[in-house]
Amino acid sequence: MKRRHFLKSSSLATAGMFSIPYILPSGRLFAQTMNRKVNHVVFCLFAGGVRNMESVHQDLGNLMPAMLEGSPSSLDGLVSVPPPVWNKPLAEEGTLFKEFRYAEGPTGHYNGHTVALTGTYTNTGLNLRANPEAPTIFEYYLKHNSPAVTARNAWWVSNALGPYPALNYSSHASYGPMYGANHIAPTSLFSGTTFPAISNPKQFQFHEEEKIGALRSFLNRNFDKEALASGIGNFNTDEDAAAIQGFIAGIFQKAQTGAYNTPLDLPQNQATNDVLTILFAEEVIQTFTPELLVVNMTDVDICHQNFTGYCNSLQLSDYAVGHLWQTIQNTPGMADDTIMIIVPEHGRNREVNTIQDVYGRYGLDHTGDDSSREIFSIILGPDGIVNKNIVVGTPTSPVGESIDLVPTVANILGFDGDIPSSLLAGRVLEEAFV
Amino acid sequence: MNHRFVLPLIAFALLVCSCSKDVQDIYLYEVQQVDVSQSGVEKNNLKSDLEFISLAYSDLLDETISNQNLNRMILAYTSVGDKELIADILIRNLLNSPNANIPSNDVMRSDVDQFILDIYGKLFVREPNEYEAWFLKDMIDNDPDLTPEMIFYAFLTSDEYRYF
Repeated sequence: MKRRHFLKSSSLATAGMFSIPYILPSGRLFAQTMNRKVNHVVFCLFAGGVRNMESVHQDLGNLMPAMLEGSPSSLDGLVSVPPPVWNKPLAEEGTLFKEFRYAEGPTGHYNGHTVALTGTYTNTGLNLRANPEAPTIFEYYLKHNSPAVTARNAWWVSNALGPYPALNYSSHASYGPMYGANHIAPTSLFSGTTFPAISNPKQFQFHEEEKIGALRSFLNRNFDKEALASGIGNFNTDEDAAAIQGFIAGIFQKAQTGAYNTPLDLPQNQATNDVLTILFAEEVIQTFTPELLVVNMTDVDICHQNFTGYCNSLQLSDYAVGHLWQTIQNTPGMADDTIMIIVPEHGRNREVNTIQDVYGRYGLDHTGDDSSREIFSIILGPDGIVNKNIVVGTPTSPVGESIDLVPTVANILGFDGDIPSSLLAGRVLEEAFV
Repeated sequence: MNHRFVLPLIAFALLVCSCSKDVQDIYLYEVQQVDVSQSGVEKNNLKSDLEFISLAYSDLLDETISNQNLNRMILAYTSVGDKELIADILIRNLLNSPNANIPSNDVMRSDVDQFILDIYGKLFVREPNEYEAWFLKDMIDNDPDLTPEMIFYAFLTSDEYRYF
């Protein structure tokens, strides 16, 4: 409660910056002139470990028709997925970095995600459930964007729990939870398990909330300590918190009416974690039109023990990304004003492991060979902003690294000049822009 | 009188006197019985999120939280980044539970003093001081729309409830 009061005070201070000189958190006296390319970025971590051989190289045919042009795969054991909902492959809506690189550090999911979200290579151990040491893109955005915005504009939608919730802010002394994004793990949050615990919250009328607030203030004045939730978490203003609570309640109401029975127009048996995560990311987009949303997928990691399942997950995740782009283009406020970035967090080994699936195909791990560092990226967006239908990079001359994504997002939203240069080693992926 | 006889005689006399004193006057030493309740300022330990959730459940439903219920609340808690926000949803959900043990409005207003003693005892594990009791009684007496649910919610989301 008190932290929200702090935020209210901060907002008032921010409101005053238009009339008086204002020292930005970055130390600048005046806000840098805004030079945004667009007003929204959707950053899709097509994660779980995707090998270029099955994605952009199409060694088994095209398993990703929503993103790429190519002859369909005839691999035995593939499930039938509906045709892409967007009218052309997403790569043609932007620039395909066909040979992108995750150049340094362990090829683990936590590391890959951390590098993509911080723009800093890390050697921190695998699957560590800790906030990253370097600031995240959310913190850069919420600290340096001008005019100041609240966390309602920054979302981190994760496919799962484990280490992922900790990626919405860092432990960096100059950043941290005050600049953290709103995180949700929708497949955990909106589940039958949690339904009895959160689906029917008591609603008070506005005048009742005022009386409760008055009594709570009295109680707090008579106590000498301030209590933040011990798990900290990110911060929202009272107004934003109420909107998010309404959003969560609304999802449960819609679920009870059967609105999600065919998620993304797919049959129930294809409602995978990736599909549902994208579905709820779309709900966030339609409700809040955030300026920065990051969503990840991880289902393809089944490849450790089921190569055919990996190929099927690639198909479904690809379909879901196409649906996400369609939703963005159908959302007022984001249509034609959004750049989407698609990238896996790392690849997979060239050599197979010893686990066979029912089709006799061997699984693939991701332990750090060259192939597990070879990935791709697509940056797509509006005409006149993004270079369209361009392919850059070759196996012998790759273009772009994972650490370039954060500077690129910051540049798109116009606050890259305010980030202390010592914090980011990457560059803006200029090849993608007109 | 020979000193050999005098000293034992004095010692015997003292012994007899002290024995007779024990027999005649019986003193019972004990501490005056008082109810001990913790002052708010003595609460220095912030409840962990797990403790907060499970204690709120127990305080509202008058039963120990089951593993199943605790797991589902933790799952929801872990799935949202803003911990204050999700904790608030969990508390509001408990308030709406048909098993929530919150006095009715009639019961509260039939004996406001007792209601105040009870809610401080139950949620803050202490008695209210005179000012606190007066303030809350004044609020209840002067606002017919103030319900026990609203008061419980304010207590459960106060800073003091986060500490023990």
